[in-house]
Amino acid sequence: MTTILPILPELLLLALGILILTLDPFLKKDEARRPFLGWFTVASLLAALTVSLLLARPAGAALAFGGMIRFDWLGFLFKMFFLFAAAVTALLFMDADKLNRRAEAYFLLVAAALGMCLMASAADLVMLYLAIETTSIPLYILAGFLKTDDKSTESGFKYMLFGALTSAVLLYGFSLVYGFTGKTNLYELGLHFSNFNIVAIGVTFLILAGLAFKVSLFPFHFWAPDVYEGAPTPVAGFLSTASKAAGFAVLIRLFTAVFPVLNADWSLILAILATLTMTVGNLIALTQKSVKRMLAYSSIAHAGYAMIGVVAFSELGMASVVFYLIAYALTNLLAFGIVGIVGRAAGSDEFSAYNGLSRRSAGLGLAALVAFLSLAGMPPFVGFVSKFFVFAAAVQSGWVWLAIVGVLNSIVGLYYYLNVLKAVYLYRMENEDEDRHPVPVSRPAAIALVILVAGILLIGTLFGPWFGLATRAAAALF
Amino acid sequence: MNFGSIPLTYYLVLSAALFTMGALGVLIRRNALIIFMSVELMLNAANLAFVAFARQYGVFTGQLFVFFVMTVAAAEVAVGLALIVAIFRTKHSIDVDQMSSLKG
Amino acid sequence: MDLTLILFIILAVTAIATALGLLISRNAVYAALFLVMNFACVAIFYLLLGAPFIAMAQVTVYAGAIMVLFLFVIMLLGAEKLPKGDVLPVQRPLAIGAAVILLAEAVILLVQRFQSTAMLQAPGTVENSMDSLREMSGLLFTEYLLPFEVTSILLLVAMVGAIVLTKQEKGTRG
Repeated sequence: MTTILPILPELLLLALGILILTLDPFLKKDEARRPFLGWFTVASLLAALTVSLLLARPAGAALAFGGMIRFDWLGFLFKMFFLFAAAVTALLFMDADKLNRRAEAYFLLVAAALGMCLMASAADLVMLYLAIETTSIPLYILAGFLKTDDKSTESGFKYMLFGALTSAVLLYGFSLVYGFTGKTNLYELGLHFSNFNIVAIGVTFLILAGLAFKVSLFPFHFWAPDVYEGAPTPVAGFLSTASKAAGFAVLIRLFTAVFPVLNADWSLILAILATLTMTVGNLIALTQKSVKRMLAYSSIAHAGYAMIGVVAFSELGMASVVFYLIAYALTNLLAFGIVGIVGRAAGSDEFSAYNGLSRRSAGLGLAALVAFLSLAGMPPFVGFVSKFFVFAAAVQSGWVWLAIVGVLNSIVGLYYYLNVLKAVYLYRMENEDEDRHPVPVSRPAAIALVILVAGILLIGTLFGPWFGLATRAAAALF
Repeated sequence: MNFGSIPLTYYLVLSAALFTMGALGVLIRRNALIIFMSVELMLNAANLAFVAFARQYGVFTGQLFVFFVMTVAAAEVAVGLALIVAIFRTKHSIDVDQMSSLKG
Repeated sequence: MDLTLILFIILAVTAIATALGLLISRNAVYAALFLVMNFACVAIFYLLLGAPFIAMAQVTVYAGAIMVLFLFVIMLLGAEKLPKGDVLPVQRPLAIGAAVILLAEAVILLVQRFQSTAMLQAPGTVENSMDSLREMSGLLFTEYLLPFEVTSILLLVAMVGAIVLTKQEKGTRG
């Protein structure tokens, strides 16, 4: 029993995926019972979350399965988070036409979550490569899932092409790392990488390029807006949160395990990348007319903020990255949830579709207030606390200018987030007849939004224990 | 019968050349199928480096890595080509320059 | 100059030439066949490097499955003839320049790093390849069990995905 504990969440996800595919034919005939699939997925994901929380907590940090994965708190915390994010996304799937009645959509969501769990704990280049692909391939399919919609297929295709290209680059980097050391285990590699030379820089560039794509860092961010805009909205939400968090989990594990000696020289490069990522993301977000596309650029900017914690390269820095990712993911899932509901009611993602939203649905208006103020980094929401920790970590490690750049960028961000809220609260619909255009919110979507709003408020005010968890995860790295 | 030996560097230079040509193909071609084939060429270059290194160290790790990469490549090609077929059905073209319905 | 080196040079030149063929071919079918040829050359390199199993997998998976799938899709879409201006005019010199620099850099770095005069002996006899196969499969089902099982999930995902994306829905065409 103890031997399967390290992969218990993955095993439960696999069982769930197979159950979904098996249940599908039994529900085919009865259209009225199709929503059962969604509820089943959500309930099982939450059950898997509970079971794993109770049974599969790691005691310390240990390599398992022939050194393929590392059973530690960093991986565990991210896994629990991926299960949660998948459950929320499944709730949002139930509200999206053409996704909600397809067992395959839920299966692919579960498979992607499985890949992310493996990414978070992979400790070997072989496992890492496979985990990244197991995450990406279901997401390519989900992005192109609406095959009669040319935006969706184009989004899936672009994502697949850039994804395949960067994973080839990443693989070439892996092959050279293997060539220099003869090892594939990350923790053995760390010992061999100590003799720093010019070739190591080239190799690190290849690997960094591959990972920068996954978390959409500048200059590998160009795919994100197109893919997020074309993909079904709940899928875009999942891509911009869980997938990005998984990429960062790999990034911080790699940088602490394999390249610690490179750190001094790399910090400056990473700091410049973080600055460019934040600035480019925010400046382009300012000019967007579609809220969905604006959120895509803002998610690039948020990858830049999280990068600040990586640059700090201290235990506090890594803990702040973990905390930031979880905070950002909760908030962005909420934002994409709202975009999905409004997009469905209005048939558009433009800013004008949000005019008078608070009058059309008070609850949705309130949720938008929480989501966009938290994204902007306003207290008492979680977005404020998480930004505070990241900047504090930067200052502690002597990166004062980087923290200042981050704060300046947050101010730019505030402007375009408030623009959305201006439409929601101050503007009126054309004929000022909001009463006759209520925005219907289905039950699953309402549950998802309530959970996310509660999470944002809870972690935003009582952040102590949550940051304690993040610190515990970061401690497993050093 | 005994064969002579070849320096590791030769294999690595060949692999680097193939990888660069693959990358070049991705950059200069517009046909989605050709771009995708160029990506396969890049994967192949990485595989060649893996097997050469495995020979140098006398361990199987590199060969096993290649085995897994092949499996992934097969899965990726199946999905990628399915996406290309889907996009052809909606746009009647697989020219990447035509793919501009997503612009801000 | 010994025979192995001559074989290596012939194969290397073929591999580079076929890769070039892929880059400049105006017919998608020819491009695919060039790539098959390239994969075959690489398969022989694998044999020279003492990896017969990988060489066979290369032939069956890459040449046999992946490229057949490519050819199949090319025929299905009727996309074999490419328009004249298929190569991007503006990007081409830039891309070629960047690629040449990248290649030169990579070669210099690699040669510098691996001047260790490591010589890779080609395998002399066939019998020890059976042993190596046994040892490799042993590793596959012990140390590499988890990745091995993960590939099965990946293949299931690919199957589901290919069906979802290409199956025509009832009542809708296109």
